[in-house]
Amino acid sequence: MSGYSFDFFYVLNGFSRLLQGLIVSLELTAIVVGIGTFSGFVLALATSSRSLFLSVPTRLFVEIFRCTPALIQIVWFFYCLPVLADVFWPPFTMGVIALTLNLTAFNSEAYRAAIQAIPAAQRDASIALGLSRWHQAIHVVFPQVLRIASPVLVSNSISLFQQSSLVAIVSVEDLMYQGKLLAVQTYRPIETFTIVALIYFGLSFPISQLVGRIERYNARLLA
Amino acid sequence: MVSGSRQIPAAPGPASSVADAGGAGSAGQSAEGEDRLPATQPFVEIRNLRKSYARGAIPVLKGVGDTMSKTDRLVILGPSGGGKSTLLRCVMGLETIDSGAITLDGRNYIECLSNGRTFVDRTVQRQVGMVFQHYTLFPHLTVLGNLILAPVKRNGEKKGAAIARAEALLSRFGLISKLKSYPSQLSGGQKQRVAIARALMLEPKLMLFDEVTSALDPELIAEVESMISELAEGGMPMMIVTHDMGFAKNIATKVLFCADGVVMESGDPETFFAAPKIKRTRDFLASILRGTKV
Repeated sequence: MSGYSFDFFYVLNGFSRLLQGLIVSLELTAIVVGIGTFSGFVLALATSSRSLFLSVPTRLFVEIFRCTPALIQIVWFFYCLPVLADVFWPPFTMGVIALTLNLTAFNSEAYRAAIQAIPAAQRDASIALGLSRWHQAIHVVFPQVLRIASPVLVSNSISLFQQSSLVAIVSVEDLMYQGKLLAVQTYRPIETFTIVALIYFGLSFPISQLVGRIERYNARLLA
Repeated sequence: MVSGSRQIPAAPGPASSVADAGGAGSAGQSAEGEDRLPATQPFVEIRNLRKSYARGAIPVLKGVGDTMSKTDRLVILGPSGGGKSTLLRCVMGLETIDSGAITLDGRNYIECLSNGRTFVDRTVQRQVGMVFQHYTLFPHLTVLGNLILAPVKRNGEKKGAAIARAEALLSRFGLISKLKSYPSQLSGGQKQRVAIARALMLEPKLMLFDEVTSALDPELIAEVESMISELAEGGMPMMIVTHDMGFAKNIATKVLFCADGVVMESGDPETFFAAPKIKRTRDFLASILRGTKV
Protein backbone atom coordinates (compact mmCIF):
# COMPACT_ATOMS: atom_id res chain seq x y z
CA MET A 1 0.00 0.00 0.00
CA SER A 2 1.15 3.52 -0.72
CA GLY A 3 0.16 4.76 2.67
CA TYR A 4 -1.89 7.62 1.19
CA SER A 5 -4.49 8.83 3.66
CA PHE A 6 -7.72 9.93 2.05
CA ASP A 7 -9.35 13.14 3.23
CA PHE A 8 -12.61 14.04 1.60
CA PHE A 9 -13.44 16.97 3.89
CA TYR A 10 -12.42 19.86 1.60
CA VAL A 11 -13.70 18.16 -1.49
CA LEU A 12 -17.11 17.54 0.01
CA ASN A 13 -17.19 21.18 1.05
CA GLY A 14 -16.99 22.07 -2.61
CA PHE A 15 -19.58 19.51 -3.59
CA SER A 16 -22.18 22.12 -4.57
CA ARG A 17 -19.76 23.41 -7.24
CA LEU A 18 -19.45 19.89 -8.61
CA LEU A 19 -23.23 19.72 -8.79
CA GLN A 20 -23.33 23.01 -10.71
CA GLY A 21 -20.86 21.52 -13.14
CA LEU A 22 -22.92 18.36 -13.35
CA ILE A 23 -25.96 20.36 -14.38
CA VAL A 24 -23.97 21.91 -17.23
CA SER A 25 -22.76 18.44 -18.26
CA LEU A 26 -26.30 17.09 -18.22
CA GLU A 27 -27.64 20.07 -20.19
CA LEU A 28 -24.96 19.60 -22.79
CA THR A 29 -25.63 15.86 -22.99
CA ALA A 30 -29.39 16.31 -23.16
CA ILE A 31 -29.18 18.79 -26.04
CA VAL A 32 -26.66 16.73 -27.98
CA VAL A 33 -28.51 13.42 -27.45
CA GLY A 34 -31.84 15.08 -28.28
CA ILE A 35 -30.59 16.40 -31.59
CA GLY A 36 -28.27 13.51 -32.39
CA THR A 37 -30.96 10.87 -32.02
CA PHE A 38 -32.96 12.38 -34.86
CA SER A 39 -30.15 13.87 -36.97
CA GLY A 40 -28.41 10.49 -36.95
CA PHE A 41 -31.48 9.01 -38.63
CA VAL A 42 -31.62 11.72 -41.28
CA LEU A 43 -27.90 11.25 -41.93
CA ALA A 44 -28.40 7.49 -42.20
CA LEU A 45 -31.08 8.03 -44.86
CA ALA A 46 -28.62 10.21 -46.76
CA THR A 47 -25.73 7.76 -46.48
CA SER A 48 -27.92 4.90 -47.69
CA SER A 49 -29.25 6.97 -50.58
CA ARG A 50 -28.77 5.68 -54.10
CA SER A 51 -27.82 9.19 -55.19
CA LEU A 52 -24.03 9.59 -55.11
CA PHE A 53 -24.40 13.34 -54.57
CA LEU A 54 -26.00 12.52 -51.26
CA SER A 55 -24.24 9.36 -50.17
CA VAL A 56 -20.59 10.21 -50.93
CA PRO A 57 -20.32 13.52 -49.00
CA THR A 58 -22.35 12.22 -46.09
CA ARG A 59 -20.27 9.07 -45.79
CA LEU A 60 -17.15 11.20 -45.88
CA PHE A 61 -18.64 13.25 -43.04
CA VAL A 62 -19.30 10.12 -41.00
CA GLU A 63 -15.78 8.81 -41.52
CA ILE A 64 -14.18 12.13 -40.58
CA PHE A 65 -16.00 12.20 -37.27
CA ARG A 66 -15.51 8.50 -36.57
CA CYS A 67 -11.81 8.54 -37.37
CA THR A 68 -10.68 11.61 -35.46
CA PRO A 69 -10.56 12.00 -31.68
CA ALA A 70 -13.49 13.80 -30.11
CA LEU A 71 -10.99 15.98 -28.28
CA ILE A 72 -9.57 17.27 -31.58
CA GLN A 73 -13.08 17.92 -32.87
CA ILE A 74 -13.92 20.05 -29.84
CA VAL A 75 -10.64 21.93 -29.98
CA TRP A 76 -10.98 22.44 -33.72
CA PHE A 77 -14.46 23.93 -33.43
CA PHE A 78 -13.36 26.14 -30.53
CA TYR A 79 -10.13 27.48 -32.04
CA CYS A 80 -10.37 27.02 -35.79
CA LEU A 81 -14.00 27.72 -36.64
CA PRO A 82 -13.91 31.28 -35.28
CA VAL A 83 -10.89 32.05 -37.47
CA LEU A 84 -12.13 30.30 -40.60
CA ALA A 85 -15.81 31.26 -40.45
CA ASP A 86 -15.58 34.45 -38.42
CA VAL A 87 -18.10 33.28 -35.84
CA PHE A 88 -17.65 33.82 -32.13
CA TRP A 89 -20.01 31.72 -30.09
CA PRO A 90 -19.74 30.82 -26.42
CA PRO A 91 -17.70 27.71 -25.55
CA PHE A 92 -20.86 25.83 -24.59
CA THR A 93 -22.31 26.33 -28.08
CA MET A 94 -19.07 25.22 -29.71
CA GLY A 95 -19.06 22.14 -27.50
CA VAL A 96 -22.65 21.37 -28.47
CA ILE A 97 -21.87 21.71 -32.18
CA ALA A 98 -18.78 19.50 -32.07
CA LEU A 99 -20.36 16.78 -29.94
CA THR A 100 -23.64 16.84 -31.88
CA LEU A 101 -21.82 16.26 -35.15
CA ASN A 102 -19.79 13.52 -33.48
CA LEU A 103 -22.84 11.74 -32.06
CA THR A 104 -24.78 12.18 -35.32
CA ALA A 105 -22.00 10.38 -37.18
CA PHE A 106 -21.92 7.48 -34.71
CA ASN A 107 -25.71 7.21 -34.47
CA SER A 108 -26.09 7.22 -38.24
CA GLU A 109 -24.08 4.01 -38.41
CA ALA A 110 -26.40 2.40 -35.87
CA TYR A 111 -29.42 3.55 -37.84
CA ARG A 112 -27.97 2.40 -41.14
CA ALA A 113 -27.77 -1.18 -39.93
CA ALA A 114 -31.28 -0.91 -38.46
CA ILE A 115 -32.75 0.44 -41.70
CA GLN A 116 -31.36 -2.57 -43.52
CA ALA A 117 -33.09 -4.83 -41.00
CA ILE A 118 -36.55 -3.56 -42.01
CA PRO A 119 -38.15 -5.96 -44.48
CA ALA A 120 -38.35 -4.62 -48.03
CA ALA A 121 -41.98 -5.77 -48.08
CA GLN A 122 -42.82 -2.88 -45.78
CA ARG A 123 -41.58 -0.46 -48.41
CA ASP A 124 -43.88 -2.10 -50.95
CA ALA A 125 -46.79 -1.87 -48.52
CA SER A 126 -46.04 1.79 -47.90
CA ILE A 127 -46.11 2.53 -51.61
CA ALA A 128 -49.31 0.53 -52.00
CA LEU A 129 -50.80 2.68 -49.25
CA GLY A 130 -49.70 5.78 -51.15
CA LEU A 131 -47.40 7.04 -48.40
CA SER A 132 -44.85 9.57 -49.58
CA ARG A 133 -41.19 8.81 -48.98
CA TRP A 134 -41.14 11.38 -46.18
CA HIS A 135 -44.20 9.91 -44.46
CA GLN A 136 -42.70 6.48 -44.91
CA ALA A 137 -39.44 7.58 -43.31
CA ILE A 138 -41.10 9.35 -40.38
CA HIS A 139 -44.08 7.13 -39.60
CA VAL A 140 -42.94 3.69 -40.73
CA VAL A 141 -39.15 3.51 -40.69
CA PHE A 142 -38.12 5.87 -37.88
CA PRO A 143 -40.26 4.39 -35.06
CA GLN A 144 -38.97 0.93 -35.91
CA VAL A 145 -35.29 1.73 -36.36
CA LEU A 146 -35.41 3.78 -33.18
CA ARG A 147 -36.34 0.57 -31.37
CA ILE A 148 -33.99 -1.70 -33.28
CA ALA A 149 -31.03 0.65 -32.86
CA SER A 150 -31.88 1.71 -29.30
CA PRO A 151 -29.30 -0.49 -27.55
CA VAL A 152 -26.55 1.08 -29.66
CA LEU A 153 -28.10 4.54 -29.40
CA VAL A 154 -28.21 4.30 -25.61
CA SER A 155 -24.61 3.17 -25.37
CA ASN A 156 -23.57 5.92 -27.80
CA SER A 157 -25.37 8.40 -25.57
CA ILE A 158 -23.59 7.11 -22.47
CA SER A 159 -20.25 7.45 -24.27
CA LEU A 160 -21.28 10.95 -25.24
CA PHE A 161 -21.92 11.77 -21.60
CA GLN A 162 -18.38 10.64 -20.76
CA GLN A 163 -16.93 12.53 -23.72
CA SER A 164 -18.75 15.66 -22.68
CA SER A 165 -16.01 15.94 -20.06
CA LEU A 166 -13.67 16.91 -22.89
CA VAL A 167 -15.33 20.31 -23.26
CA ALA A 168 -13.65 21.28 -19.99
CA ILE A 169 -10.55 21.84 -22.09
CA VAL A 170 -12.21 24.76 -23.89
CA SER A 171 -13.42 26.14 -20.56
CA VAL A 172 -17.02 25.05 -20.59
CA GLU A 173 -17.83 24.95 -16.89
CA ASP A 174 -18.98 21.36 -16.74
CA LEU A 175 -18.44 18.69 -14.10
CA MET A 176 -14.88 17.97 -15.23
CA TYR A 177 -14.03 21.67 -15.32
CA GLN A 178 -15.31 22.22 -11.77
CA GLY A 179 -13.48 19.09 -10.68
CA LYS A 180 -10.20 20.37 -12.06
CA LEU A 181 -10.67 23.70 -10.28
CA LEU A 182 -11.56 22.00 -7.02
CA ALA A 183 -8.59 19.68 -7.26
CA VAL A 184 -6.23 22.60 -7.62
CA GLN A 185 -7.85 24.65 -4.89
CA THR A 186 -8.00 21.88 -2.30
CA TYR A 187 -4.69 20.23 -3.21
CA ARG A 188 -6.72 16.99 -3.15
CA PRO A 189 -6.73 15.79 -6.79
CA ILE A 190 -7.08 12.11 -5.88
CA GLU A 191 -10.19 12.63 -3.76
CA THR A 192 -11.68 15.12 -6.21
CA PHE A 193 -11.22 13.05 -9.31
CA THR A 194 -12.40 9.92 -7.49
CA ILE A 195 -15.62 11.69 -6.62
CA VAL A 196 -16.01 13.11 -10.11
CA ALA A 197 -15.52 9.61 -11.52
CA LEU A 198 -18.10 8.22 -9.11
CA ILE A 199 -20.62 10.84 -10.23
CA TYR A 200 -20.09 9.92 -13.91
CA PHE A 201 -20.37 6.25 -13.01
CA GLY A 202 -23.40 6.70 -10.79
CA LEU A 203 -25.35 8.32 -13.60
CA SER A 204 -24.13 6.14 -16.47
CA PHE A 205 -24.36 2.71 -14.88
CA PRO A 206 -28.15 2.60 -14.35
CA ILE A 207 -28.74 3.76 -17.90
CA SER A 208 -26.39 1.15 -19.32
CA GLN A 209 -28.42 -1.45 -17.42
CA LEU A 210 -31.49 -0.31 -19.34
CA VAL A 211 -30.05 -1.65 -22.58
CA GLY A 212 -30.85 -5.26 -21.75
CA ARG A 213 -34.44 -4.38 -20.84
CA ILE A 214 -34.93 -2.41 -24.04
CA GLU A 215 -33.64 -5.37 -26.05
CA ARG A 216 -36.11 -7.75 -24.42
CA TYR A 217 -39.02 -5.32 -24.89
CA ASN A 218 -38.20 -4.79 -28.56
CA ALA A 219 -37.80 -8.49 -29.20
CA ARG A 220 -41.39 -8.97 -28.05
CA LEU A 221 -42.88 -6.11 -30.05
CA LEU A 222 -41.03 -6.54 -33.33
CA ALA A 223 -41.23 -10.33 -33.37
CA MET B 1 -66.19 -8.73 -72.58
CA VAL B 2 -64.83 -12.13 -72.02
CA SER B 3 -67.10 -13.11 -69.21
CA GLY B 4 -69.66 -11.62 -66.90
CA SER B 5 -70.29 -12.51 -63.31
CA ARG B 6 -70.84 -16.12 -62.34
CA GLN B 7 -71.97 -17.31 -58.95
CA ILE B 8 -71.29 -14.00 -57.33
CA PRO B 9 -73.37 -11.04 -58.46
CA ALA B 10 -71.60 -7.97 -59.76
CA ALA B 11 -71.35 -4.53 -58.26
CA PRO B 12 -73.57 -1.56 -58.84
CA GLY B 13 -71.39 1.08 -60.46
CA PRO B 14 -68.04 2.01 -58.98
CA ALA B 15 -67.11 -0.05 -55.97
CA SER B 16 -65.62 2.88 -54.12
CA SER B 17 -67.88 2.83 -51.09
CA VAL B 18 -66.36 -0.28 -49.63
CA ALA B 19 -67.73 0.08 -46.14
CA ASP B 20 -71.35 -0.38 -47.16
CA ALA B 21 -70.77 -2.56 -50.18
CA GLY B 22 -71.37 -5.71 -48.18
CA GLY B 23 -75.10 -6.17 -48.61
CA ALA B 24 -75.37 -4.40 -51.93
CA GLY B 25 -75.17 -5.87 -55.39
CA SER B 26 -77.76 -7.97 -57.08
CA ALA B 27 -77.57 -9.66 -60.43
CA GLY B 28 -79.92 -7.10 -61.96
CA GLN B 29 -77.56 -4.25 -61.26
CA SER B 30 -74.62 -5.65 -63.12
CA ALA B 31 -76.09 -4.44 -66.37
CA GLU B 32 -75.88 -0.88 -65.13
CA GLY B 33 -72.18 -1.27 -64.40
CA GLU B 34 -71.63 -2.56 -67.89
CA ASP B 35 -73.55 0.33 -69.39
CA ARG B 36 -71.15 2.80 -67.93
CA LEU B 37 -68.13 0.94 -69.16
CA PRO B 38 -68.76 -0.19 -72.69
CA ALA B 39 -67.01 -3.32 -73.81
CA THR B 40 -64.69 -1.21 -75.95
CA GLN B 41 -63.17 0.32 -72.82
CA PRO B 42 -61.97 -2.29 -70.36
CA PHE B 43 -61.60 -1.43 -66.67
CA VAL B 44 -57.98 -2.50 -66.61
CA GLU B 45 -55.93 -2.85 -69.74
CA ILE B 46 -52.38 -4.14 -69.79
CA ARG B 47 -50.58 -3.54 -73.06
CA ASN B 48 -47.35 -5.18 -74.21
CA LEU B 49 -45.82 -5.17 -70.74
CA ARG B 50 -42.15 -6.03 -70.61
CA LYS B 51 -40.06 -6.20 -67.51
CA SER B 52 -36.61 -7.49 -66.80
CA TYR B 53 -34.16 -7.49 -63.95
CA ALA B 54 -30.42 -6.84 -64.06
CA ARG B 55 -30.62 -4.41 -67.00
CA GLY B 56 -32.38 -6.78 -69.32
CA ALA B 57 -30.31 -9.83 -68.44
CA ILE B 58 -33.22 -11.57 -66.72
CA PRO B 59 -36.49 -11.02 -68.59
CA VAL B 60 -39.53 -11.71 -66.42
CA LEU B 61 -42.41 -10.38 -68.46
CA LYS B 62 -42.01 -10.67 -72.23
CA GLY B 63 -44.90 -8.71 -73.64
CA VAL B 64 -47.91 -9.36 -71.46
CA GLY B 65 -51.24 -7.97 -72.55
CA ASP B 66 -54.77 -8.53 -71.33
CA THR B 67 -57.85 -6.76 -70.13
CA MET B 68 -60.36 -7.07 -67.36
CA SER B 69 -63.79 -5.54 -66.95
CA LYS B 70 -65.22 -3.87 -63.88
CA THR B 71 -67.20 -6.98 -63.02
CA ASP B 72 -64.21 -9.27 -63.33
CA ARG B 73 -62.24 -11.09 -60.74
CA LEU B 74 -59.10 -11.97 -62.57
CA VAL B 75 -57.17 -14.93 -61.20
CA ILE B 76 -53.61 -15.30 -62.40
CA LEU B 77 -52.26 -18.84 -62.32
CA GLY B 78 -49.03 -20.36 -63.39
CA PRO B 79 -45.78 -21.98 -62.30
CA SER B 80 -43.38 -20.27 -59.92
CA GLY B 81 -41.11 -17.81 -61.67
CA GLY B 82 -43.59 -17.38 -64.49
CA GLY B 83 -44.08 -13.70 -63.79
CA LYS B 84 -47.42 -13.73 -61.93
CA SER B 85 -46.31 -11.72 -58.95
CA THR B 86 -44.23 -9.38 -61.07
CA LEU B 87 -47.29 -8.68 -63.22
CA LEU B 88 -49.29 -7.79 -60.13
CA ARG B 89 -46.47 -5.63 -58.77
CA CYS B 90 -46.36 -3.78 -62.09
CA VAL B 91 -50.10 -3.08 -61.87
CA MET B 92 -49.53 -1.67 -58.37
CA GLY B 93 -46.73 0.51 -59.70
CA LEU B 94 -44.04 -1.07 -57.55
CA GLU B 95 -41.81 -1.96 -60.48
CA THR B 96 -40.16 -0.07 -63.28
CA ILE B 97 -41.08 -1.46 -66.68
CA ASP B 98 -39.13 -1.81 -69.92
CA SER B 99 -42.05 -1.21 -72.24
CA GLY B 100 -45.81 -1.09 -72.37
CA ALA B 101 -48.56 0.63 -70.43
CA ILE B 102 -51.34 -0.09 -67.95
CA THR B 103 -54.70 1.65 -67.96
CA LEU B 104 -57.23 1.91 -65.15
CA ASP B 105 -60.74 3.14 -65.93
CA GLY B 106 -59.52 4.60 -69.21
CA ARG B 107 -56.55 6.42 -67.73
CA ASN B 108 -53.00 5.51 -68.64
CA TYR B 109 -51.38 5.49 -65.24
CA ILE B 110 -48.32 3.38 -65.77
CA GLU B 111 -46.33 3.78 -68.91
CA CYS B 112 -42.82 3.30 -70.20
CA LEU B 113 -41.78 6.70 -71.58
CA SER B 114 -39.63 7.15 -74.65
CA ASN B 115 -36.59 7.91 -72.47
CA GLY B 116 -36.96 4.49 -70.84
CA ARG B 117 -38.25 5.82 -67.53
CA THR B 118 -41.42 4.48 -65.95
CA PHE B 119 -44.19 7.02 -65.54
CA VAL B 120 -46.62 6.40 -62.66
CA ASP B 121 -49.68 8.62 -62.19
CA ARG B 122 -49.87 8.69 -58.39
CA THR B 123 -53.50 9.81 -58.24
CA VAL B 124 -54.61 6.77 -60.24
CA GLN B 125 -52.13 4.48 -58.46
CA ARG B 126 -53.82 5.42 -55.20
CA GLN B 127 -57.05 3.86 -56.44
CA VAL B 128 -55.35 0.48 -56.41
CA GLY B 129 -54.93 -1.47 -53.19
CA MET B 130 -52.65 -4.45 -52.65
CA VAL B 131 -52.12 -7.19 -50.10
CA PHE B 132 -48.92 -9.20 -50.11
CA GLN B 133 -47.82 -12.73 -49.38
CA HIS B 134 -45.69 -11.81 -46.41
CA TYR B 135 -47.24 -9.88 -43.59
CA THR B 136 -46.61 -6.23 -44.18
CA LEU B 137 -48.40 -4.76 -41.19
CA PHE B 138 -46.27 -2.16 -39.46
CA PRO B 139 -45.18 -3.96 -36.28
CA HIS B 140 -44.81 -0.82 -34.17
CA LEU B 141 -48.45 0.21 -34.71
CA THR B 142 -51.61 -1.35 -33.33
CA VAL B 143 -54.25 -2.72 -35.68
CA LEU B 144 -56.05 0.61 -35.46
CA GLY B 145 -52.79 2.51 -36.03
CA ASN B 146 -52.11 0.45 -39.13
CA LEU B 147 -55.56 1.18 -40.53
CA ILE B 148 -55.63 4.92 -39.99
CA LEU B 149 -52.00 5.76 -40.84
CA ALA B 150 -52.45 6.36 -44.56
CA PRO B 151 -55.93 7.96 -44.39
CA VAL B 152 -54.78 10.44 -41.75
CA LYS B 153 -51.24 11.15 -42.90
CA ARG B 154 -51.71 10.85 -46.64
CA ASN B 155 -55.29 11.99 -47.17
CA GLY B 156 -55.45 14.39 -44.24
CA GLU B 157 -58.60 12.74 -42.95
CA LYS B 158 -59.70 13.76 -39.45
CA LYS B 159 -58.44 11.21 -36.95
CA GLY B 160 -61.87 10.73 -35.40
CA ALA B 161 -63.48 10.05 -38.75
CA ALA B 162 -60.75 7.60 -39.71
CA ILE B 163 -61.10 5.77 -36.40
CA ALA B 164 -64.87 5.50 -36.89
CA ARG B 165 -64.38 4.04 -40.38
CA ALA B 166 -61.70 1.66 -39.11
CA GLU B 167 -63.98 0.43 -36.34
CA ALA B 168 -66.84 -0.12 -38.77
CA LEU B 169 -64.56 -2.05 -41.11
CA LEU B 170 -63.09 -4.17 -38.32
CA SER B 171 -66.56 -4.95 -36.94
CA ARG B 172 -67.71 -6.02 -40.37
CA PHE B 173 -64.86 -8.48 -40.66
CA GLY B 174 -64.99 -9.72 -37.06
CA LEU B 175 -61.73 -8.12 -36.02
CA ILE B 176 -63.00 -5.41 -33.69
CA SER B 177 -61.66 -7.21 -30.60
CA LYS B 178 -58.17 -6.88 -32.08
CA LEU B 179 -58.39 -3.10 -32.42
CA LYS B 180 -55.66 -2.39 -29.90
CA SER B 181 -53.55 -5.48 -30.55
CA TYR B 182 -50.11 -5.32 -32.09
CA PRO B 183 -49.42 -7.42 -35.20
CA SER B 184 -47.15 -9.72 -33.17
CA GLN B 185 -50.19 -10.70 -31.09
CA LEU B 186 -52.23 -11.80 -34.12
CA SER B 187 -52.38 -15.11 -35.94
CA GLY B 188 -51.24 -15.23 -39.55
CA GLY B 189 -54.82 -15.27 -40.79
CA GLN B 190 -55.74 -12.29 -38.65
CA LYS B 191 -52.70 -10.40 -39.89
CA GLN B 192 -53.74 -10.89 -43.49
CA ARG B 193 -57.33 -9.89 -42.76
CA VAL B 194 -56.09 -6.72 -41.06
CA ALA B 195 -53.85 -6.08 -44.08
CA ILE B 196 -56.89 -6.37 -46.33
CA ALA B 197 -58.86 -4.02 -44.07
CA ARG B 198 -55.96 -1.57 -44.13
CA ALA B 199 -56.05 -1.52 -47.92
CA LEU B 200 -59.84 -1.07 -47.89
CA MET B 201 -59.52 2.02 -45.70
CA LEU B 202 -58.33 3.85 -48.80
CA GLU B 203 -61.46 2.81 -50.72
CA PRO B 204 -59.65 1.32 -53.70
CA LYS B 205 -61.33 0.76 -57.05
CA LEU B 206 -59.22 -2.33 -57.66
CA MET B 207 -57.71 -4.80 -55.21
CA LEU B 208 -54.64 -6.91 -55.86
CA PHE B 209 -53.96 -10.06 -53.84
CA ASP B 210 -50.50 -11.54 -54.25
CA GLU B 211 -50.48 -15.09 -52.85
CA VAL B 212 -52.01 -13.82 -49.63
CA THR B 213 -52.58 -17.30 -48.24
CA SER B 214 -49.31 -18.93 -49.31
CA ALA B 215 -47.53 -18.26 -46.03
CA LEU B 216 -50.45 -19.35 -43.87
CA ASP B 217 -51.06 -22.57 -42.00
CA PRO B 218 -53.75 -24.55 -43.81
CA GLU B 219 -56.37 -24.04 -41.11
CA LEU B 220 -56.01 -20.26 -41.37
CA ILE B 221 -56.47 -20.03 -45.12
CA ALA B 222 -60.27 -20.24 -45.08
CA GLU B 223 -60.85 -17.10 -43.00
CA VAL B 224 -58.75 -15.01 -45.38
CA GLU B 225 -60.32 -16.49 -48.50
CA SER B 226 -63.83 -15.98 -47.16
CA MET B 227 -63.03 -12.33 -46.51
CA ILE B 228 -61.89 -11.95 -50.11
CA SER B 229 -65.04 -13.73 -51.28
CA GLU B 230 -67.14 -11.32 -49.23
CA LEU B 231 -65.45 -8.41 -50.96
CA ALA B 232 -66.10 -10.07 -54.29
CA GLU B 233 -69.77 -10.35 -53.42
CA GLY B 234 -69.72 -6.64 -52.70
CA GLY B 235 -68.56 -6.12 -56.27
CA MET B 236 -64.91 -5.27 -55.74
CA PRO B 237 -62.90 -5.77 -58.92
CA MET B 238 -59.80 -7.75 -58.09
CA MET B 239 -56.72 -9.48 -59.43
CA ILE B 240 -55.59 -12.53 -57.52
CA VAL B 241 -52.42 -14.54 -57.71
CA THR B 242 -52.93 -17.84 -55.93
CA HIS B 243 -51.84 -21.45 -55.84
CA ASP B 244 -55.14 -22.54 -54.32
CA MET B 245 -57.05 -24.04 -57.25
CA GLY B 246 -60.27 -24.52 -55.31
CA PHE B 247 -60.33 -20.87 -54.35
CA ALA B 248 -59.38 -19.86 -57.89
CA LYS B 249 -62.27 -21.83 -59.35
CA ASN B 250 -64.72 -20.36 -56.88
CA ILE B 251 -63.84 -16.73 -57.20
CA ALA B 252 -62.58 -16.27 -60.76
CA THR B 253 -64.65 -14.75 -63.52
CA LYS B 254 -61.58 -14.80 -65.70
CA VAL B 255 -58.38 -16.77 -65.58
CA LEU B 256 -54.97 -15.85 -66.89
CA PHE B 257 -52.36 -18.56 -67.24
CA CYS B 258 -48.94 -16.99 -67.03
CA ALA B 259 -45.74 -18.91 -67.72
CA ASP B 260 -42.28 -18.01 -69.00
CA GLY B 261 -43.21 -14.34 -68.90
CA VAL B 262 -46.14 -14.50 -71.31
CA VAL B 263 -49.87 -15.07 -71.06
CA MET B 264 -50.22 -18.62 -72.34
CA GLU B 265 -53.95 -18.80 -72.04
CA SER B 266 -56.70 -16.48 -70.91
CA GLY B 267 -60.42 -16.96 -70.67
CA ASP B 268 -63.37 -17.93 -68.55
CA PRO B 269 -62.73 -20.36 -65.71
CA GLU B 270 -65.14 -23.07 -66.95
CA THR B 271 -63.19 -23.52 -70.14
CA PHE B 272 -59.85 -23.06 -68.45
CA PHE B 273 -60.30 -25.71 -65.79
CA ALA B 274 -62.44 -28.15 -67.78
CA ALA B 275 -60.92 -27.92 -71.22
CA PRO B 276 -57.62 -26.01 -71.30
CA LYS B 277 -56.61 -25.19 -74.83
CA ILE B 278 -52.88 -25.72 -74.69
CA LYS B 279 -50.69 -28.52 -73.43
CA ARG B 280 -48.72 -26.33 -71.04
CA THR B 281 -51.92 -25.49 -69.16
CA ARG B 282 -52.98 -29.13 -69.06
CA ASP B 283 -49.60 -30.13 -67.66
CA PHE B 284 -49.79 -27.39 -65.06
CA LEU B 285 -53.25 -28.34 -63.91
CA ALA B 286 -52.35 -32.01 -63.84
CA SER B 287 -49.28 -31.37 -61.71
CA ILE B 288 -51.28 -29.20 -59.30
CA LEU B 289 -53.87 -31.95 -58.95
CA ARG B 290 -51.10 -34.44 -58.23
CA GLY B 291 -49.92 -32.04 -55.57
CA THR B 292 -46.50 -31.47 -57.04
CA LYS B 293 -44.90 -28.23 -58.01
CA VAL B 294 -44.20 -27.42 -61.64
